Amino acid sequence: MVNYRRKLVVCAVLLAGFHMAVLFAGFFAPYGYAAQDRELPFTPPTRPHFIDSQGRFHIRPFVYGWQSDTAVSGAIHEDFTCRYPVRFFVQGASYKIAGIFVSRVHLFGVDDPGRISLLGTDGFGRDQFSRFLYGGQVSLLAGLIAAALSVTLGVFIGAIAGFYGGWIDEALMRSGELFLALPWLYLLFAVRAAMPLHISQSQVFMLLVSVMGLIGWARPARLVRGIALSAKERYFVVAARGFGASDAYLLRRHVLPQASGVALTQITLLIPQYVLAEVTLTFLGLGVSEPMPSWGSLLSSLQQYYVLSTYWWMFLPAALLIPLFLTYYLAADALQEHWKPVSL
Amino acid sequence: MNARFLIRRFAHAALLLAAISLFSFALVQSAPGDFFDQMRMNPRVSAQTVEGLRAEYGLDRSFAVRYGMWLRSAVRGEFGISLAYNTPVGPLLIPRAQNTLLLTATATFIAWILAIPIGVWSATNRKKLSRKNSELATSTLLTIPDLLLFLCVLLFAVRSGWFPSGGMYSVDSESHGLLRVKDTAWHLVLPSLALALATLPALIRHVRSAMIEVLDSPFIRAARSHGIPNTRLLFRFALPVAANPLISLFGFSVATMLSSSLLLEVILSWPGLGPLLVEATLNKDVYVVIGTVMLSAAFLIVGNLVADMLLFAADPRIRVE
Amino acid sequence: MGKLHLGDLLALMLATAALCLFPAPVSAANGAREDLMVMENAPGKAGGRLVVALHSEPKTLNPVLAIDDPSRDVIRCLSGDLIHINRETLKTGPALAKSWNVSPDGRTYTLHLRQGLRFSDGEAFSADDVVFTFQVYLDEKVHSPQRDLLVIGGKPIEVKRVDSSTVQFSLARPYAAAERIFDGIAILPRHLLEKSYRAGQFSQAWNLSTPPNQFAGLGPFRLKEYTAGQRIVLEKNPYYWKQDGAGVRLPYFNELVFLFVASEDAQVIRFEGGDTDILSRFSAENFSVLEKQQAARNYHVDDLGAGLEYSFLFFNMNDLGAKALPEIAKKQAWFRDLRFRQAVSAAIDRAGIVRLVYSGRATPLWGQVTPGNKLWVDAVLPHPARSLDRARQLLQSSGFSWRPDGTLVDPRGNDVEFSILTSASNSQRTKMATIIQDDLSQLGMKVQIVSLEFRAMVDRLLNTYDYEAAIMGLASGDADPTAEMNVWVSSGETHLWNLEGKPATPWESEMDRLMEQQLTTLDYSKRKQLYDRVQEIVADDLPVICLVSPDILVGARNRIGNFRPAILDPYALWNVEELYAR
Repeated sequence: MVNYRRKLVVCAVLLAGFHMAVLFAGFFAPYGYAAQDRELPFTPPTRPHFIDSQGRFHIRPFVYGWQSDTAVSGAIHEDFTCRYPVRFFVQGASYKIAGIFVSRVHLFGVDDPGRISLLGTDGFGRDQFSRFLYGGQVSLLAGLIAAALSVTLGVFIGAIAGFYGGWIDEALMRSGELFLALPWLYLLFAVRAAMPLHISQSQVFMLLVSVMGLIGWARPARLVRGIALSAKERYFVVAARGFGASDAYLLRRHVLPQASGVALTQITLLIPQYVLAEVTLTFLGLGVSEPMPSWGSLLSSLQQYYVLSTYWWMFLPAALLIPLFLTYYLAADALQEHWKPVSL
Repeated sequence: MNARFLIRRFAHAALLLAAISLFSFALVQSAPGDFFDQMRMNPRVSAQTVEGLRAEYGLDRSFAVRYGMWLRSAVRGEFGISLAYNTPVGPLLIPRAQNTLLLTATATFIAWILAIPIGVWSATNRKKLSRKNSELATSTLLTIPDLLLFLCVLLFAVRSGWFPSGGMYSVDSESHGLLRVKDTAWHLVLPSLALALATLPALIRHVRSAMIEVLDSPFIRAARSHGIPNTRLLFRFALPVAANPLISLFGFSVATMLSSSLLLEVILSWPGLGPLLVEATLNKDVYVVIGTVMLSAAFLIVGNLVADMLLFAADPRIRVE
Repeated sequence: MGKLHLGDLLALMLATAALCLFPAPVSAANGAREDLMVMENAPGKAGGRLVVALHSEPKTLNPVLAIDDPSRDVIRCLSGDLIHINRETLKTGPALAKSWNVSPDGRTYTLHLRQGLRFSDGEAFSADDVVFTFQVYLDEKVHSPQRDLLVIGGKPIEVKRVDSSTVQFSLARPYAAAERIFDGIAILPRHLLEKSYRAGQFSQAWNLSTPPNQFAGLGPFRLKEYTAGQRIVLEKNPYYWKQDGAGVRLPYFNELVFLFVASEDAQVIRFEGGDTDILSRFSAENFSVLEKQQAARNYHVDDLGAGLEYSFLFFNMNDLGAKALPEIAKKQAWFRDLRFRQAVSAAIDRAGIVRLVYSGRATPLWGQVTPGNKLWVDAVLPHPARSLDRARQLLQSSGFSWRPDGTLVDPRGNDVEFSILTSASNSQRTKMATIIQDDLSQLGMKVQIVSLEFRAMVDRLLNTYDYEAAIMGLASGDADPTAEMNVWVSSGETHLWNLEGKPATPWESEMDRLMEQQLTTLDYSKRKQLYDRVQEIVADDLPVICLVSPDILVGARNRIGNFRPAILDPYALWNVEELYAR
């Protein structure tokens, strides 16, 4: 079927676009991720308008300022007297691309003292949209690293277990069960506590993520083991062995390529899972520290009932993640179909 | 043959549990600090008292000594003593484990009852549009973090008022017998539905992929070309073969169900192992943590054992090996 | 209305005297007349049930060993003490001891107990129970966390039975807060606990698996039923020794149910929904949520103002000589510089913290005593407004300077960079750290926030000293300054910024002297002067930079009468015997 190929292309384009936006977060985000505005915590998303309060149409969209509601304490509403046109390719706070190039150009923005927050602001008045993009840098990288580590280790161990069989297989699979059952939380606490103060926070976080990734080898290992088991019996492998091929050669040349399909699918499936695992780490306070955002810290504020019931826009980053994860899953599906062994 | 198989499996299980206990002990010890650190920060309690308490519970002894003490206590059925509750861990865990089991069993039942028909239907109607929609729905559900899902359930319970918003019994339930069973069942509805919903999407996907694999295999195609109608094909030929991966899946699903139930119990105040474990973890009530880990590992192992035995009984191919 | 005749007045006086002298007869122990305490609350209606949520299960019902809040909340309803601190006035008053004499040298207290009282199981209460109680609390092998409160001047207090209703307490030296040590020491029934105590098994006594008939106490309620993981049910104590002005024996409620609801959000939801009647210890954001539905759902939430808790930022000023932490030792040159600390304090946006972290429900602090502590707060302490200019001036005068890009450098040319430690589980302090980080970045300081699990943080603060700055909070157990001795005295174990045991600066020596002096000064106004001076030193020399104190927030259903919450624990249930359902 050729359906999956189209699906794969669409997914790949969407993912590439999203990752570009995250990589160039500085350009797409109107504000820095730490820019607090203590006068305006928890404001709802600013809506761009084209028609103003007098009914006139403007080609350039604009936003209104905020004004405190005199009737209900703590509530705010749009202030129709202050109009801020949205400008494109504006000069704003400076940022670094890939840590090297400095730039000040942002895709869009408004003049001070107006604020444009497409996803609203959080408890410190920081723009959620900007934080979502910057947060992606941390979370996606974390997910990628953890998934890659898990799968690499899993492929390695699973291939050896399946290929050699016998007691090696037993031992490795039993220790896999052990790994699944243990309270790794404590190991993470311990690693976190043992870090000296002078390692930067993002480095500590990456270390924790790596530990998490290294722990998660059991499931991919099981799958790869299945493949190695069946590959071992294939005629061409038996034939190669008959020709005197060493174990290492067989593993490298015949078993691992078979596993590569599964490996890639597993990575694609695991990335969203590890991003969600990062939410758990942040929930427990082990995530990347302030003011650096991550999707975990954006989502963790939703744990509180008062946020859910009053500040509905805090839910939007979570809502944006759902189509992203969906795209990953659909891509994994398509890859699975691509690598499905053709039945005879 | 059967007896030997069982003995081997039990031996493996015992060994595994012992290894888990040793590793958990080591892991819990690795994180700095202990239960009494909270007391140390209290200006009204002297360091002497804290040291005295530490010594009384043996927290100042070496790792090997403490592990040995714990093993001896485990043999007695106590599994160490809870530093917070001042009672042996074993009797502390039993009533809560029963509650967790009640919740998990009900949720597993509901999830599987829903997953199998939906997964099968989704596998058999591969080209229709409705299937694409259902696939989208399950994938979406899959990506919603459990935490968010459970909080929304809580919100729903409160806003609508149709269901109790937590706990296992109503405040004024003094009743016994049938009334209490009804009360418990009423409180069980929302948590078990929520838990089933959390684990359903993954389950559906796996059922679906297992079914697809079976439906694509040569013997099914041969049967179809023989003209056997689809329903008979499904029930008489495909499902029995699909039973193999599904039964192994059952073993795995127990594990995921247990870890999701922890979060659910905390949010919906269900009196199971969840709230106990979370508090013990945060307070470093070491023996409670180890006891709970061992218990859930035991659940897992029993689940897998049951699955293996079912497989043995159901799938003739395994008996031949 | 006619004139009141003298005869009427006389009759009235006689009738009142008669009522006071002869309370409604209840079966008294030993045929003696029961010495009940008459409360001055508004009279209420007997009957009904009160439901309260606890954020976790009590761990034990043994008053001697309990240390966590939920256990203490339940135990307070089950037990009585000799002298009790009235949570509203923060002053001591008679409880099981109806009066007492103090010897002229201030070292001996002779307490006269009420007569004819019974425990909740009907057994008589006498001085023997008091002597037994103190024996248990003071026993070093029992390791009671409250034992240290009973050690005055290095020696434990001595308890002597004078007769069946009189007990004498001797202290090693006069102690200003002597009466306050009796609050919270629950009087134990000798007839139930002596056996396990003599057998050395006291630590297993009165845990949660003990059957209800093995408990007895002198509190308004007694244990009826405990369901693991779910709730604990208390019932009215028919022998309770308090009555209201109309002669009705307290408590009014028949039943008190404690529900265990694990998360604060779930507690709020169940309170809103009507499952529970009283809510305390919840956050400011939940207050705003609850405020909206007050009228509709028939409850009220109250903001009682600042409590006794205070949070503070402090720097590592320990002597690190032996510990080999060169990086931190270098930075201590800044931390020990008073003007550096003053600059940091001037730059912190306390109003912002109040607004953003506590939604306005907190009080900014410049000293460790909060405005809620009316007896001891130094009202004339200056409250300098936030000023970045003043901060910059202070830094400049101490030799600091700025690079063109704004980074602050010290006199030796090093960039000013340090980390602040917080507890990962305390979201408010982490938010405070975020605000402070931003504030200090405006001075050119680069601050990193290191969020550790609580125990790991305690390990660094108390054992390894491997930290640069940290944010902590202390919830004072009592309004009296003696509760904080260990914090402000150099030899104290929670003298966090300098745990060497000796004062490192002249102002620390002065604080030591003042705190020791106020311990033995019995006159309140003289003590206040001494403690005011301590507060001035804290505000001037900044061993810690005080930040804010969160307000005490409570809620109750409208039908609960006599609800008079206070700022000292237990906020809502301190007068549980007077609460009733309208």
